[in-house]
Amino acid sequence: MRARATILGALSSIAVFAVGWQLGADGQQSETTTSDTAAGSAPTSTVTPSADAGSSTATPAPTPSASASETTTSAVSGTFTGTSVHTRFGDVQVQITVQDGILSDVTALQLTDQDSRSVSISNRAAPILRQEVLSAQSANVHSVSGATYTSNAYLTSLQSALDQAGL
Amino acid sequence: MTVTTHVFNTMGTTASLRFAGPVPSDEVLLQVEDAFAEFDRRFSLYRADSELSRIATGELTLAHSSDAVRDCYRDAMMWSHRTAGVFTSHRPDGVLDLSGIVKAAAIAAAGTILDTFGMPSWVLNVGGDILTRGSINGSAWRIGITDPDARTSLLCALEVQNPRQAVATSGTAERGEHIWRAPATSDTLVRYRQVTVVADDIVTADVLATAILAGGPQWCDDILDRFDVDALTVDDHGGITASPGLREAASLILG
Repeated sequence: MRARATILGALSSIAVFAVGWQLGADGQQSETTTSDTAAGSAPTSTVTPSADAGSSTATPAPTPSASASETTTSAVSGTFTGTSVHTRFGDVQVQITVQDGILSDVTALQLTDQDSRSVSISNRAAPILRQEVLSAQSANVHSVSGATYTSNAYLTSLQSALDQAGL
Repeated sequence: MTVTTHVFNTMGTTASLRFAGPVPSDEVLLQVEDAFAEFDRRFSLYRADSELSRIATGELTLAHSSDAVRDCYRDAMMWSHRTAGVFTSHRPDGVLDLSGIVKAAAIAAAGTILDTFGMPSWVLNVGGDILTRGSINGSAWRIGITDPDARTSLLCALEVQNPRQAVATSGTAERGEHIWRAPATSDTLVRYRQVTVVADDIVTADVLATAILAGGPQWCDDILDRFDVDALTVDDHGGITASPGLREAASLILG
């Protein structure tokens, strides 16, 4: 299970939903003469649909926890929770908040490992500065990992020095 | 407790086996060396009489090769599928070359022998790929990572302990461009010159280090997403990246 793809898939599904709601809100406006400024100036969703949106299996199941808006407009409001998906980072679930047809918040739920600790969903390699790591001294290590060397190259390697020194 | 060392040559490189405490009996060391020798006899393309050399010349077919060769071929195919062919077991000229997995498989086999003899604490380093067990004086074994720009310097050091006991580094520094790498394009401006992977087992670490080196940054992200490993990369411009777990392991002794 690819956690990143799953999350992107889930988010993109939500984005499609959100766009649908925004369209619905706009349609409502054009029929009625009252202009809802909040809906009219709908900011572009920050959730970007990914290329594999069509293959997403994590379709959000609408479970409104807030009743429909009290106004006459039919724009959707509420909190919707996506299907829980199992990944190697643990169970991952996405919750969105919609206000008057506009996606207002996306929250990741259940981002915990087996011990129920919160974990980062990203395992990506991030840049580090040489200064952060350069203090390593060969005298403080027991073995040295490097690109494969020949028996001849070994003779002039750090590993050879370690072996001879018996450190 | 002191470290004792047994050094021997095999597979065109040098193996260093270090123990926390005294060196074990000759029988143990002999079996370890024999395990490497057997892999070398079967798989080396530098030996005209090896099974792989005979397969390369057409004298022997894979179907009629030994179980050991076919098992290794199966594992190599599995890794090729898992990495969408970025890890490959065929040379550009089409010759079956399992050297990308054989050394690691031999290290794993030697590790099993040491486990069978009940050896609790050791570091086995074969040509720069490392498998460890246990600890030294209650502390984790500390592994240095060579700097590809200065091979007698360390880039960093990290601590390895159960279950993350295997460290493999692939690079272009020692043997030249022996690993095929995707050409730099507008999508892949960065190419790696050295990749270290830390994993639970040495075959996974070695294969994925090779795959990330060959595939570049896009594959690094993908592999870190799909496999429970950590990676440290050095690119052509000297830039370094580290996955969260490795950053943590390195900072333990460098902070």
